[in-house]
Amino acid sequence: MIKSISRRDFMKGMAVGGAALGSAGFLAACGSSSSTSSTSSSSSSDSTSSESTSTESSESSITKPDTIAVMVDGTVFTEENGRAEFWDKCEELTGIHYEVTQPDHDAYYDVVGQTIAGGDWPDVIILSSTYYTSYANEGVLWDMTEAYENSALKERIDAAGSSSAVEGMYINGSLYGMPVTRGNGCITYVKQAWLDNVGMDAPTNYDEYIDMLTAFSTDGKYGISAPGFIGADSPFVNYLPEFYQDAWPSFCQQDDGTWTDGFEEDSMKEALQRIADAYTAGIIDPTTLTNGTSDCRNKFYSDEFGVFTYWAGTWGRNLYNNLVNNGLDGDLVALEPIDEVPYYYDRIPVPWCITTKCSNPEGVFEYFISAMLDAGEVELLFTYGVEGVHWSTEAETLYEGTDSEVSYEEGEFHMLDNLETPGTQYTKAHIDPMLALVAIDDDPGAGTISEQARSSQDTFNANCKSVVIIPSTDEYSQYNGDLVTKKNELIANVAVGEITVDEAYEDYASEAQAWSQMIVESLNA
Amino acid sequence: MAKEKVDKRYVNKVHIHAFDVILVIFFIILSLILIIPMWKVLVDSFDLHTSYGMQLLPSQFGIEGYKQIFTNQTLYRPLLISFFTTITGTLLALTLSTLGGYVLIQYEMPGRNFCANYLLFTMIFNGGMIPTYLVLRAIGLTNTLLVVILFPALNVYNLVLMRNFFEGIPASLFEAAKLDGCTPMGTFIRIVLPLSKAALASIGLMYAVSYWNDYTHYKLYITNSNLYNFQMKLRGMVQGSDLPTVSGNLTENTIKNAAIVVAILPFMILYPFLQDYFVQGVNVGAVKE
Amino acid sequence: MKKEKVELTAEQKARKKEKTRAAIYTHRGFYVMFLPVFIFALIFCYAPMVGVLLAFTDYNGIKAITPEIFVGLENFQKMFSMSGFWTAFWNTLELSVVKLVLTTGFAVIISVLLNEIVSIRFKKVVQTIIYLPHFMSWVVVASLFSLILAPTSNGLVNTFLVQIGVIDSSNMIYFLGSNKWWKPVYYMINLWKETGWQTVIFMATLSGLNTDMYEAAGIDGANRFQKMIYITFPSLTNTILTVIILNLARIMNLFESVFVLQNDAVLSTSNVLETYIYYQSFNSGSIPNYGYTAAVGLFKSIVGAVLVLSCNQLSKKVRDGRGIV
Repeated sequence: MIKSISRRDFMKGMAVGGAALGSAGFLAACGSSSSTSSTSSSSSSDSTSSESTSTESSESSITKPDTIAVMVDGTVFTEENGRAEFWDKCEELTGIHYEVTQPDHDAYYDVVGQTIAGGDWPDVIILSSTYYTSYANEGVLWDMTEAYENSALKERIDAAGSSSAVEGMYINGSLYGMPVTRGNGCITYVKQAWLDNVGMDAPTNYDEYIDMLTAFSTDGKYGISAPGFIGADSPFVNYLPEFYQDAWPSFCQQDDGTWTDGFEEDSMKEALQRIADAYTAGIIDPTTLTNGTSDCRNKFYSDEFGVFTYWAGTWGRNLYNNLVNNGLDGDLVALEPIDEVPYYYDRIPVPWCITTKCSNPEGVFEYFISAMLDAGEVELLFTYGVEGVHWSTEAETLYEGTDSEVSYEEGEFHMLDNLETPGTQYTKAHIDPMLALVAIDDDPGAGTISEQARSSQDTFNANCKSVVIIPSTDEYSQYNGDLVTKKNELIANVAVGEITVDEAYEDYASEAQAWSQMIVESLNA
Repeated sequence: MAKEKVDKRYVNKVHIHAFDVILVIFFIILSLILIIPMWKVLVDSFDLHTSYGMQLLPSQFGIEGYKQIFTNQTLYRPLLISFFTTITGTLLALTLSTLGGYVLIQYEMPGRNFCANYLLFTMIFNGGMIPTYLVLRAIGLTNTLLVVILFPALNVYNLVLMRNFFEGIPASLFEAAKLDGCTPMGTFIRIVLPLSKAALASIGLMYAVSYWNDYTHYKLYITNSNLYNFQMKLRGMVQGSDLPTVSGNLTENTIKNAAIVVAILPFMILYPFLQDYFVQGVNVGAVKE
Repeated sequence: MKKEKVELTAEQKARKKEKTRAAIYTHRGFYVMFLPVFIFALIFCYAPMVGVLLAFTDYNGIKAITPEIFVGLENFQKMFSMSGFWTAFWNTLELSVVKLVLTTGFAVIISVLLNEIVSIRFKKVVQTIIYLPHFMSWVVVASLFSLILAPTSNGLVNTFLVQIGVIDSSNMIYFLGSNKWWKPVYYMINLWKETGWQTVIFMATLSGLNTDMYEAAGIDGANRFQKMIYITFPSLTNTILTVIILNLARIMNLFESVFVLQNDAVLSTSNVLETYIYYQSFNSGSIPNYGYTAAVGLFKSIVGAVLVLSCNQLSKKVRDGRGIV
């Protein structure tokens, strides 16, 4: 208790100082900056490399916790999907007992808020980036910088070449949560059958891209659809990257470290014009504004449009399956970014955090969090689940969907039927093997990943860049909500042709620009 | 009910007016307008293909969606919980509304206005999410089924509607009961409740529906999924098929639509039984004689 | 009341006290009956109500509740200073009031007409059908209507309008995406979903109606329309008033139905208080500020209180001095 209070006060000081310093460890994605590693985060790893030699000796002084209270969302097996077996196995492997709280996935952050307010904090908690940064600032989360930088885990992650995903989580030089996978993002899928139909190849630049969409848009069909013209979460532009290209609607840091509002750049105005033109030309779904993501998926499956920018990896396989199920050709081309698109955006990963009420945070980090990426049995558990419950190597025949059956030979690794919805199989537990920061040694499940998932993920991984976290300032939390709402309203109205780009920026200048300037000033202060 | 029942008001007038014909046509058109949007849900729930547009009939008929829901082994417990909480909750809520409504028609009772304002105030002001949670936790209700039964049980809106029905009971009946030496509770049980069948049926229906459809209280106050009800479970299944953790999801859309239909079914089964009460209602005149 | 008190003599006072005491004694059974209701309200409504004090703090759900977190009227200042807030406030009033009047009005008309149906079986079928939309969640309703109203060949309404020649196929109307159409469409969808359910309470009221009255009116030579207007409809006024005034108490809580039907292009016409606050918090990229949320909640409650109290005064005139509660 005393500890948490002192930390809280300390963090308050940090927050004020931190605001003045601006971002410490995050990447900026404005305009054409291309480096994928920021200077400050690499310097933080430099400064600690001298200490990381004492890994072996420090480990022995850390005691293993008996029990860990864990709060997880629906990305870990739920009760109906063998949660008990999962955590029993975890106890067996790590020698720690787990008390698991798993609220409904939908209400997870409401329950997290209530739990934190109620004071019964768990030891370990999964948090989204918004909660991660806010709770870190308020002193809810234990600073694991030292533990991480002196750990064998860091060595494994560095060796696997995925240290940038962890570096992206630093807030003003400190680490409060451990991602176990990369964030993943959206990649553009084009139906091969549609390309064949119009006799075209996959586009490599914007002109070809527009030609393709135009060729696709005949007989009541259209080139591309999206759930809205701008996303609600960062990275906002991820459903229409070819139109936004290098434009960014939010704040971004220039190469010299100063912050600007990407919405005010010419690149944004040009992007808006491109969207409006394409919408008028009828190559973007006329109902884009009112689409939900499931509307888009259903339209894609019923062949109403040809190009869809959606999650890379597992969803590549899901899209394929659903198309085939609908009697269509399921082949999709996962596009490399066209010339004008600098990269696809990788979201901020969802980290595992330790709260400051945890009595033995070092032990929890060492024996639980670190173990999740041990490249061995614990990671196998977190990747595929429990043998005999979620996966198996016994000879058997499973039914995939309604009619297709798959037989497995003795010794062949395969995922088992979903306990809740028989007829479908599990694909992973918590860690997606294609996104894991550390690969499992001799991964037995490597063969289970489908070609469609693998190829879209590989293309994405080779062409992605992490999203920026914007450091919070008073002005930012005060005005950004209204500012973003206004920007989204203008973008939507330009897109559907209600107003012109110039009119939008006139409206913007009348009120919103002042908020933007206040925020920019506070970020640069 | 082999013979067509006819409202007693029209027993003596067998001849059908033009107005009756217009009325029937009007309601048929109205029903169609109401049904058309829902038709899509029904068709899609039987369609193994995923389609976006409206269709008259499924393009590939199949009951896989329903099969997946009903063969689900983990479904019986949530179903029992739903029945249990709906029945106990509705009874409790009806008790509170009728008691409160009955007290509110005692205009002679000192403090009656205080009681009325005391209740009205709760309709207008509320403490917000976190304070509510803290109170529920402090009295030990979180993570028990009690929270989903007790917490929503007092509904002032329905209580006031109930009082409205009670006001329709002729004052002479209360006086007669008083003269016969009936206690307030006795009058309540022997006069008020039997005369309010339509009110009890309609407000009871509203409570039952809200208990049956409740998921917000479950998701906010219960983290033990063994205590989840049918609605939570259905939502979980729809949601689960949305998450990319599941592979080869052949019937994502079908299951979702089947779940929507299944959620309405209990009501459709229950409703015709309740309807008799609506039509029957109270015949105050008969009681008087 | 107060004036009278002053003029009372000590003796009269004592007598009055005695009278009250006697009245309390004769009503003792009723107090016992009210006790469960009293306790439920105390625990589940009044105890959490301490939370309205958070409106004057910057509580974020983490720091302890100490005097330091009190910030006075800062939350209200922030709230009132934003132009978006006022747009949302007026939208809330307009959307809720029109919606309330329309759904109640249509529910009354339909109840009165349902009451006229001779065949009980047909009546039952119709009733079941018109209640059904209430059981669909708003999310599902929104996706159904965005399909039906789509400006493409999928959209039933636009296709129909093209076929009867009102518009041509290149000029389909994007009902949900147009500031001109959004509000009327919103009302229509609400009518579709909730009118039937609203009839439950009116039908129950009508079923309690004394059939003697119809017979008497029939003998007097009244036709069916006259009976509808002079007997059926007046018997509903009490319930109509109650329903409308009770709904005013929560008029500011409009959220889900708007949230699922709105989109970025129609924010200026569709944003209501709850959605405005939602976006303000969600788009700011920080955790909910419970102090600010409580301030908005308190503001909404005060507006609700003003509306209810003033309408209650009005209804007293209609209902011989009795308010709706």
